[in-house]
Amino acid sequence: MATGFSTPTRRQLLSMIGHVAGSAAMYQAMTSMGFAADSGYTGAPDLQGPREGRHVLILGAGIAGMAAAYELRRAGYEVKIIEYQNRHGGRCLTIRGGDRFTEMGGHHITCDFESEGYFNPGPWRLPVHHQALFDYARKFNVPMQPFINRNEKAYLHSPNAFGGQPQRIGEVETDMRGYVSELLAKSLNQRALDQVVTMEDREKLLQGLKGWGVLDKNYKYRVSDDVGGARGWDIRPGGGLMPDKKPSQPFDLSTLLQSGLWSQMFGLNTYSHEAPMFEPVGGMDKITDAFANEVADLIQFDARVTRIAQGDNGVTVTYEDGGRGGEVREESADWCVCTIPLSVLVQLDVECSDKMKKAIGAVPYASAFKISMEFKRRFWEQDEMIYGGISYTDLPLVQIAYPNYGFFSDGPAVVQAAYDTATAGRTFTYTWSTMTPQERIEAAFALGRQIHPQYDEEFMSGTSWVWHRVPWSLGCYGQWTEELREQHYETLCEIDNRLVLAGEHCSHIPAWLEGGLLSALDAIRRLDQRENA
Amino acid sequence: MIRVICTTAAAFALLVTGAAAQQDVVSDPSPDALLSRFSNEPYRFTQTDGEALYRTTCQACHMEDGKGAVGAGSHPPLAGNPKMISRHYLAGVILTGYHGMPRFGDTMSNEQIAAVTNYVRSHFGNDFPGVMTAAEVDALRAPE
Repeated sequence: MATGFSTPTRRQLLSMIGHVAGSAAMYQAMTSMGFAADSGYTGAPDLQGPREGRHVLILGAGIAGMAAAYELRRAGYEVKIIEYQNRHGGRCLTIRGGDRFTEMGGHHITCDFESEGYFNPGPWRLPVHHQALFDYARKFNVPMQPFINRNEKAYLHSPNAFGGQPQRIGEVETDMRGYVSELLAKSLNQRALDQVVTMEDREKLLQGLKGWGVLDKNYKYRVSDDVGGARGWDIRPGGGLMPDKKPSQPFDLSTLLQSGLWSQMFGLNTYSHEAPMFEPVGGMDKITDAFANEVADLIQFDARVTRIAQGDNGVTVTYEDGGRGGEVREESADWCVCTIPLSVLVQLDVECSDKMKKAIGAVPYASAFKISMEFKRRFWEQDEMIYGGISYTDLPLVQIAYPNYGFFSDGPAVVQAAYDTATAGRTFTYTWSTMTPQERIEAAFALGRQIHPQYDEEFMSGTSWVWHRVPWSLGCYGQWTEELREQHYETLCEIDNRLVLAGEHCSHIPAWLEGGLLSALDAIRRLDQRENA
Repeated sequence: MIRVICTTAAAFALLVTGAAAQQDVVSDPSPDALLSRFSNEPYRFTQTDGEALYRTTCQACHMEDGKGAVGAGSHPPLAGNPKMISRHYLAGVILTGYHGMPRFGDTMSNEQIAAVTNYVRSHFGNDFPGVMTAAEVDALRAPE
């Protein structure tokens, strides 16, 4: 192979930084790489509004388009939204039993879930610092429930480690913390770190390591009741004359390191996944439904935009009414806020600067997929004590996420049985995307039963989503690189005469709802300034 | 209902060893063949055969028959697409991406990009002259 595969990807680099220096350092590194800049959100935009009647045409009824419409109308603009689909919400959607979709290529996706369980193919968890999103959710009364992103009882799994037996996240983490503490204590006691740690700090550090790593009086991480209290028990403490408690045995350090399971946990350390995360009760589409409650009267559905023309005084959008091949119509306005994904926009006839055209054509759209399954019972809860959260594996299914609602109930329940995106650098998502809906279920079943053998008995039905086969997005999200951002990001976000773009692709937090929202709020703030200049 | 008769051990062996199972990806509907479509390593494609590479990447958008698909925009057809006349153009697109299409230059070697380029130019009814070599792909890569 002629290329240097050993060069770490940015993701791998960030993961290394995170694992060595902690999530704060990683967040700092991400920010400096233009990946995670903080929101700067200070509340709903305070728009001045137009001095005289002004029309704004918004393309796309996703969160960015609907938020822009909501705020612009509130400020006194006359607003209309043109949407390609026959539904609002864009990439924020929830699939439930009875839903049917036709993918690009003509394959049919069915969802035959019998329970109230649901599947969020796009956004599915909300970080606590996504304040704009929560502000609107509060304003529109969207009930939230905790999303358990990290569950110590969930699994880490590799077919090549521990005979293919999954291990608990909490046990792996407690052991790694114990061994790292023991090794560091050893170095301190051997005076190997006297150059970098003062005498006073050394004592504090040793004391801390003993508690943090659950070390014994000799600074060793060894099986004990204290360790049992941290990592768990072979026999849990009981009542009455039940058998005596027995602490569980830590894994051997070398076995643990060689297993690769430790590295599966690093993603849990990110700022964006800190506990508590949240999700709307009943499905992520409750968020976009709430926006639609406010702006539904402004949306024209089934309208495929083909051209955006503009002059110094306004913009004219051409669209096919009723979808591709429909009657061609034109709509004129003073301003256009376009939230069409760049993957689609680049194929349309758009009048804008050459620089902006280049920017529109420069951003690839990431591969991402999800598979969801319904099972006859909650075996992960009943057999394995896993209540919500996510298990991780080296298998191509990458992760299994358990429902964070309906705990302890009998009857069928829905699991997110596989998920990955191209951001992590793994190739599996491309392969999943080549499969027919039926093949995806078969593959996810064959892989998932290696972690949960109960699949064989309990499986009911499955459904899936492959973003590159979604007719209205042609991919999942703008896959920016540092170089692309350097070259094109500012141009992409600038107002081009009468046109401004918005959406997650115009944000520093691609793929998050908050990115689309902040981008829209910033775009209309600048539009309003320009209007009143 | 789904037909899965694959034992844990069999699926396990496939994912670990894989190399022998990389061939023959479309005709056999069993999970073994299906699972063999995944690469054996997470961060790069491990298939070497042009068809296997097509079936594990390009097919997602350009479809089983190379005819692409249409939605709000389209995934362009490769079958009968006159742009395929230039093997350098096609290899360059695979290497660096184009518009919404992601780049594969980081996850495929020069040999792999040459193999999938040659596969596309000689299948789906295409019969374009000339053969892309790994050295020619290498020449298309931007200097480090």
